[in-house]
Amino acid sequence: MSSLAAAPVAHAHHDERPFVRKYIFSTDHKIIGIQFLFLSLFFLFLGGILAMQIRWQQGFPGQPMPGGGILPETMAPGGLLLPEYYIQLVTMHGTFMVFFAIMPLLVGVYANFLIPLKIGAHDMAFPRVNMASFWAAFLAGLVMFASLFVPEGAARAGWTMYAPLSARPDLSGAGLGQQLWCVSIVLLGLSSILGSLNYITTVINNRAPGMTWFRLPLSVWALFVTAILGLLALPVLSGAAIMLLFDQTIGTHFFDAPAGGQVLLWQHLFWFFGHPEVYILILPAMGMVSDLIANGSRKPIFGYHSMVFAIIAIGFLSWLVWGHHMFMSGMNPTLGSLFMVTTLVIAVPSAIKTFNWLGTMWRGDLHFHVPMLNAVAFVAMFVIGGLSGVFMAATPVDMPIHDTYFIVAHIHYVLFGGSLFALFGAITFWFPKMFGRVMSERWGKIHFWPTFVFFNLVFFPMHTLGMGGHMRRIYDPTVYEFLKPYQPMNRFISLAAFALFATQFIFLANFVWSLFRGKKAEQNPWRDNGLEWSLPSPAPHGNWERVPTVYRGPYEFSHPQAVEDCLPQYVKLPGDPEPAGAKGAAG
Amino acid sequence: METAHRKHPPYLLIWLYLFLLTAAEIALAFELPFSRNVKLILLLGLAVWKALLVALFFMHLKFERWHLRILAIVPLPLAAIFILAAITENLW
Amino acid sequence: MTHATATANAMRPPFPTERGVEAYNTKLGMWVFLASEVMFFTGLIGSYIVLRFGAPGEWARPGIVLNIPVTAFNTFLLICSSVSMVKAYAAIADGNQKMLKVWFLLTILGGAMFVGVQIYEYLHLVHSGFVPSGVREGSELAERVANGTLPAATMGLYGSTFYTMTGFHGFHVTCGVVSMTYLFFRKVLPGKYTQQDYRGVEVVGLYWHFVDLVWIILFTIVYLI
Repeated sequence: MSSLAAAPVAHAHHDERPFVRKYIFSTDHKIIGIQFLFLSLFFLFLGGILAMQIRWQQGFPGQPMPGGGILPETMAPGGLLLPEYYIQLVTMHGTFMVFFAIMPLLVGVYANFLIPLKIGAHDMAFPRVNMASFWAAFLAGLVMFASLFVPEGAARAGWTMYAPLSARPDLSGAGLGQQLWCVSIVLLGLSSILGSLNYITTVINNRAPGMTWFRLPLSVWALFVTAILGLLALPVLSGAAIMLLFDQTIGTHFFDAPAGGQVLLWQHLFWFFGHPEVYILILPAMGMVSDLIANGSRKPIFGYHSMVFAIIAIGFLSWLVWGHHMFMSGMNPTLGSLFMVTTLVIAVPSAIKTFNWLGTMWRGDLHFHVPMLNAVAFVAMFVIGGLSGVFMAATPVDMPIHDTYFIVAHIHYVLFGGSLFALFGAITFWFPKMFGRVMSERWGKIHFWPTFVFFNLVFFPMHTLGMGGHMRRIYDPTVYEFLKPYQPMNRFISLAAFALFATQFIFLANFVWSLFRGKKAEQNPWRDNGLEWSLPSPAPHGNWERVPTVYRGPYEFSHPQAVEDCLPQYVKLPGDPEPAGAKGAAG
Repeated sequence: METAHRKHPPYLLIWLYLFLLTAAEIALAFELPFSRNVKLILLLGLAVWKALLVALFFMHLKFERWHLRILAIVPLPLAAIFILAAITENLW
Repeated sequence: MTHATATANAMRPPFPTERGVEAYNTKLGMWVFLASEVMFFTGLIGSYIVLRFGAPGEWARPGIVLNIPVTAFNTFLLICSSVSMVKAYAAIADGNQKMLKVWFLLTILGGAMFVGVQIYEYLHLVHSGFVPSGVREGSELAERVANGTLPAATMGLYGSTFYTMTGFHGFHVTCGVVSMTYLFFRKVLPGKYTQQDYRGVEVVGLYWHFVDLVWIILFTIVYLI
């Protein structure tokens, strides 16, 4: 590769730390990212298992679940799921997926792994704080996982933990499980805050010379704004979880209406955190998809600046829309209409991003490699999920569909169809830089197509169920006369869900196989422009011997002056001005 | 950046301000014959005044660049939005 | 900094560095952390404001349940320790090691005394019957509630919000005292801070002043209003 001749020098000296410092209590941002990857893939799998049990109960109520015999009598006697266990399932599925799978996958893995590599830093600004962030998340995960095994069972108030059900053990019937949920969330909040302050400081202060703000890859922009959201939203949740914990244990009355507390206060606190959280779960996916689509289209991203401003606008507006989760809670209707307007407004920057992705692909030299396939699926699925989001933003529409399967369909279209497809793409794309091997392209495609098909078969009919009034967390739909006609559809969804789950084993097998037996990766297997591709695969400890100098933006594909169709950020063409040293990096 | 014996702000004078303002607050709350609402506004004003003194002089925000000041200011509108919105629950 | 971060630090220009927002990493990181702390206290204080605004009836008038003179003294202590912190910062900026040690130690003492007085205050409040769930049965305060000096309907909220807010502030003060004690023995006494590099003093100072700032707000809205 001639154009890579000027590549900056990687860290050459051998890394001589002992195993424990290198892979377990590591302060290297790449190792921490990989630790987060394994942790969150475990919880993703666990959340999937819980989802399968939910689907069994919905599709085949009253029939013993195959393999349900291994569950204890208190959960599923004879394989028949109990209602008390079912509500734990939906609660813990949501909790695991949102807090321990998607959020760490996007932020824990990719903010850690990509930010220093893409901005040209040796490591995070505070490597030890970064390690603390992982171990706090690990502890949080352990506590949440342990809560599945306590005698009364796990938390039972839904992943949103609405008071008073969550605040009063006599109502929920799960004292310890609820308390462990709160403790775990406080720990997770700590982890996120430590992580976020690291990401923000690193992006602001530690960019390589020439890496001005408007030369940052969109993935870094998205992760940066996400970090700001996490930094400011998670403490609110931690505070709320602490108040909830006090309500359960030492008898305070924050959410206890008879003693003057306000149940709506919990909802305000939770969603004041919760809506920025929604964007924490989608913004990094949007950013990474922008990178993948530009790479797959071999074209500069369409409207880079508008993409950046859209990310910032989404980040800002996400603080003004939380009330749309509460239209049916009996909150102040004047406030409700304000929230309706702001929610409709937030569709604008999202639409700008969507059209920019389409504009990028338009007349591009499309290469449908696995990351690109997943990225395109992200765009398509996000549009469906985003549009149903606009439905719900309108109060009159929200009233009948609130708390129905329509909402379930929407959240899964944006979180599974959106974030998770983006993650499949991102995992495949950066796998070489993480592990030095390439994931199998063939098995990646074999995984992608059934996942895409079954995903739609599972979640699209849920819109119909929701319009028919199928409530969200009910135990047995067949006891309602008006839901009986929908039971065949429910059963169909369940069968498709089992197939969807089974398909994920292809991904798992591909992942594990490639880890040990995959093709050795070359330095720049995707012919991409980011700084991380100037390093050998896998990237060495300490990254660069000397940080690279950045000469241009990250999306210079098919550049007329370049020999190949990519022109990396670190390659100096004749006539490129030399950026000022460390001072010039202030941008 | 910092050279030998640069000029420091009058920290002890600010300490005196803080002390006097606290004394004024206590006097206002318990001794002075104002109505509750007037007291409320005056007390909040005094608290903000004290907080500003600490932030501007002790935390050196007065001498920092705008980049950093923005960081300190960013959470405040969010806090105000949350509290104002949640309060309206009690108003309708 | 230990060897863990040495690799990364060796690459950075020595203090003071002027990149990004022209603040060195730890200072910027502390400001970012304080932004998240603001949001944490927004959650707690905001809940207090919302609950008090929507309380079912009158709130207990200031000065009846809580001991104002003791807390006023405590406020004074914290303000003093804040000013001694900034004096320590000014001392080392002028290269004065001796005054750095004196002022730094005074700051730690002020913080520790604040925590001590707060524990004393809590013990007395609990003794008089004021607990997080409200008023304990058969206590001195329960009699006051019975004879109408204190409103029965809002005492539960009063206890919940009071102990949560001041408790978490006290927790922050304790964290500050612990970390300053650590810095005192590891860095200040051995004279590791110099006129050229006193980043740690500035950063821990930022945290300490923030804790003081939160107390200024809390003292007014919890004790005086």
